[in-house]
Amino acid sequence: MKTRRLFAHLAAWLFLAVLALCALAPGLLAPGDPLAIDPAAAFTPPNLTHLAGTDESGRDVLTRIVHGARPSLVIGLAATGLGMGLALILGTAAALAPRWLDGMLLRLLDALYAIPSLLMALLIIALTGPGVGPAIIAVGLSTAPGYARIVRTQIRTLKDSAMIEAATVLGRTGAQRTVHHLLPNALRPLLALVTLGIGQAVIWASALSFLGLGTAPPAPEWGAMLAAGRTYLHLAWWMSLFPGLAIVLVAAGATAIGRALGGKVRAL
Amino acid sequence: MSRLLTVENLSVDFAGAEAVRGVKLQLDSGECLGLVGESGSGKSVTARSLLGLSGGTVRADALRIAGTDALALNERGWRALRGATVSMVLQDALLALDPLRPIGKEIADALRVHGRHPRAERRRLTLNLLEALGMDDPARRITARSGELSGGQRQRALIAQALIAEPQLVIADEATTALDTRLAALVLEQLRAVKQSGRGVLMISHDLAQVAQVADRIAVMRQGRIVETGPTAELLHNPTHEYTRMLLRAIPAGVPRHTPLSQLGERITLTPRNDKLPAAASDPTPALRVENLSKSFDGIPAVRQVSFELPRGQSLGLVGESGSGKTTTARMVLGLTTPDGGQVRVNGKLFTPLPERERRTARPQLGAVYQNPMASFDPRFTVGMLLADALSKGRNLRVAGQRTAITELLDTVRLPAKLAERYPFELSGGQRQRVAIARALAPAPKVLVLDEPVSALDVSVQAQVLDLLDEIQRTTGTSYLFISHDLAVIEHVSDRVAVMRGGQLVEQGTATQIFTQPQHEYTRSLLQALPRLG
Repeated sequence: MKTRRLFAHLAAWLFLAVLALCALAPGLLAPGDPLAIDPAAAFTPPNLTHLAGTDESGRDVLTRIVHGARPSLVIGLAATGLGMGLALILGTAAALAPRWLDGMLLRLLDALYAIPSLLMALLIIALTGPGVGPAIIAVGLSTAPGYARIVRTQIRTLKDSAMIEAATVLGRTGAQRTVHHLLPNALRPLLALVTLGIGQAVIWASALSFLGLGTAPPAPEWGAMLAAGRTYLHLAWWMSLFPGLAIVLVAAGATAIGRALGGKVRAL
Repeated sequence: MSRLLTVENLSVDFAGAEAVRGVKLQLDSGECLGLVGESGSGKSVTARSLLGLSGGTVRADALRIAGTDALALNERGWRALRGATVSMVLQDALLALDPLRPIGKEIADALRVHGRHPRAERRRLTLNLLEALGMDDPARRITARSGELSGGQRQRALIAQALIAEPQLVIADEATTALDTRLAALVLEQLRAVKQSGRGVLMISHDLAQVAQVADRIAVMRQGRIVETGPTAELLHNPTHEYTRMLLRAIPAGVPRHTPLSQLGERITLTPRNDKLPAAASDPTPALRVENLSKSFDGIPAVRQVSFELPRGQSLGLVGESGSGKTTTARMVLGLTTPDGGQVRVNGKLFTPLPERERRTARPQLGAVYQNPMASFDPRFTVGMLLADALSKGRNLRVAGQRTAITELLDTVRLPAKLAERYPFELSGGQRQRVAIARALAPAPKVLVLDEPVSALDVSVQAQVLDLLDEIQRTTGTSYLFISHDLAVIEHVSDRVAVMRGGQLVEQGTATQIFTQPQHEYTRSLLQALPRLG
C-alpha cells in the first residue's frame, strides 16, 4: 500500500515535470511546427513518424498536444491565481470586517455561488467576447466564491484562536498578527485545494475552447483540438483521444499532487 | 469475600512495542485497588485489556474476571461481560457521551443491550441512580443531551452509565482528573459506595492523593511494569520504591511555599533573593491592581466588581470552580476581553480601559501562560522561532542572530539548547509548558498571568513546573497571578489567595489566613473537599 502510494506520487511529480518542460520548451520534446500543414498526410493514423497521428490538415497531433500544454497551463494557473487572489481579498475582508459588511460580502458570494460556474463563465464571455484573456477572467471569477468562503472560515476560526491571543499579549499589532500568523496558517490548508483547482481550471479552459470561446483555432489548444476532432470522430479517433487524454492526465496529476499535499498539511 | 479479578503476568504489545509487561493484579469484592502512574505508564492499557478493548496483543498466564476466564473469550463473550460484569467510567464526559442522544438513553443503554428490564423499569432505575448521584431534577435531565449539561452533570451521567447494570467490577480511569475539587469529592464518594455495596473498584489515576482517598491497596505503575504494590497506608508512609517516593514528594498539598516538590531528600524551604527585588520593600506600588472589574455576556454577569492587588515579587492565587469567572478575569487583566466597568493598573499605570494602541507599549510587562500551550503556538514555528519572535517583538523569526538569548531562555526553563530546532508537537506536555513559560519570559515581564498552567500535567511533571516557576520568581522577582481550580496547588504557590465564586470574590487574604481560618462558608466547603494524605 505504502509503496503503491509512493509510486503514484512519483508518477504525478514526474508527469508534472514533463508538463512543465512542454510548457517552457515545447521545441525540445516536439521539434516540429504545430501549425505546419501537410494536406497529403491528412488523417494519418498513429504510426512511427506520427506517434499520435495527424489531423484533417495533416498537422502532427503529438506536436500540437506538446505545444498546447502552454496555453492550457497558462489559463489554468492564471485563472486559479486570479480566483485565489480575489478569494483572499474578499474572504479576509469578510472575516475581519464588522458584521454588517461581512453579511453583505457573504450575500454577494452566495449570489455568485448560486450561478453554476460554467454558466457564469459563459455569461462573462458573452459580455467580453471570446479569447484567452476573457477565458482566464471567466474561470477565475467563477472559482473565486468557493475559495473565498473557505478563506473566510479559516480566518474566522484562527482570529479568535489562542495563538492570535498569545500574539496580542506579546504586543503585536493587527497587521503583524495578520501577516505573521493569520494568513500563513489560513493559506496552508488551501495549498492542496489550489492544486486540485488548477486541474479543474485546465478542464474548464479546455471546455471553453471546446465551445469555441477560448483559444481560437488553429492555435494548438487541447479543448479546441478536441472540438476539431469531434467532427471526424468516426474516421480519426486519435484526433480526439490524445488531446482528451492530455486533459485527463493533467487533472489526474493535479489531483494526485493535491492529495499528497493535503496529507502532508494534515500531518503537520 | 470472593476474588473478583486475577491478573497474572499480563503483557500487551502494539505492533511489537510492549506497553505493559508482567503485570500482576488481584482484587476482591468489596475492595478498591488503586492503579497509579504517569501518562504512558500503561495503566489505561491495562484497564482496557480487562474489557477486551486494549487494541493490542494481550498475553497473560491468567486473566480471570468474576469467575470467567477472559483469555478464552471471543468478541461475543466480551460483549456479554462489558457493562454487565465489568464497566468503565471514562475520563472525558464530553467525548464519551453521544452529543445527539438524551443522556437518559445513553445511561439506560447498558441495561438495554443486555436485555434487562422493560423500558419503564429501565427509566425508573435510571432516575433512581441519578437521584442517588445527587443530580437535581433527574426527570428533566434525562431528556437533555450532553451538550446541554454542565461538566459536573455530564460526569455524573457517565458514572451512572457505568453503574446502572450493577457490574461486579467498576473501572474508573482518571474519572476525577478533570473535575473541580468538590465534584471530584462527590465522584470519590460514589466509588466508595460501590465498594461498600460489596463490588470491586479499580481506580486509575496519576494523582496519588485522589486514589488514596478510596483505595484499600495501591499498585504503582511505571513504564509498563508494576514497581510496587501495598496497602494504602503502608505505601503512603513507607514507600519502598524510589519512584513511589518521587510521586509522593510531588504532591503539593501542605508543602510550604518555596519548597521544591521535585527533589528527593530533606525538604528545604528556599528564600527569595532580595537583591533581585529592589523595589519590593521600598516601592509600595503593586505590580498589578484590579479595581471593580465587571463583565456580562448577553446580559448574564460573568464577573462582578472584582478587585485585588498583586504586590511586587509575590504570587496571588485565584481559586474557584469552573464557571466562577476566573478565566474571564484573567482575560480582562490581559486586555483580551473588554470589561464593562473597572480598571486594571500595571505597575501603577493605567492599562485598562485604554485603546490597544496606547497600551501596547506596556504589553511587555504582562506575560501569559495558558493551560494548553499547543494552541497558543503558531504550528509553523519551531521552538527557536517562537522564542525569536517573542524576543524580537515580532520583527524577526531567524534563530541564528538570537542564538544566545534563545539558549539563555531555554536554560532558564531547564530545557537543552538543542530543543530550539524542534517543533512543539514533538515535545512532551511538560516540555511544551516550559517553552510557553520561556516565551512569556522573553520580554522580561513584571507580571505573569498563569491560567491553569499545570492542570493538564502529570503530578510529577506538575511538581517540576511548579518548582521552575518558583525558582524563576525567586531569581527575577516576577509577580504571578496564578489561576487554578486545584486548591492544593494554590496553597503551595500563593502568598495571597482570592476565592472566586459565581463571578464574585467571596474572600481574599494571605494564604495562611485562607487555609487556616477561612471566613466564608464557600471557602470552608472547598477546603473540606481537598484531599489530604495521611
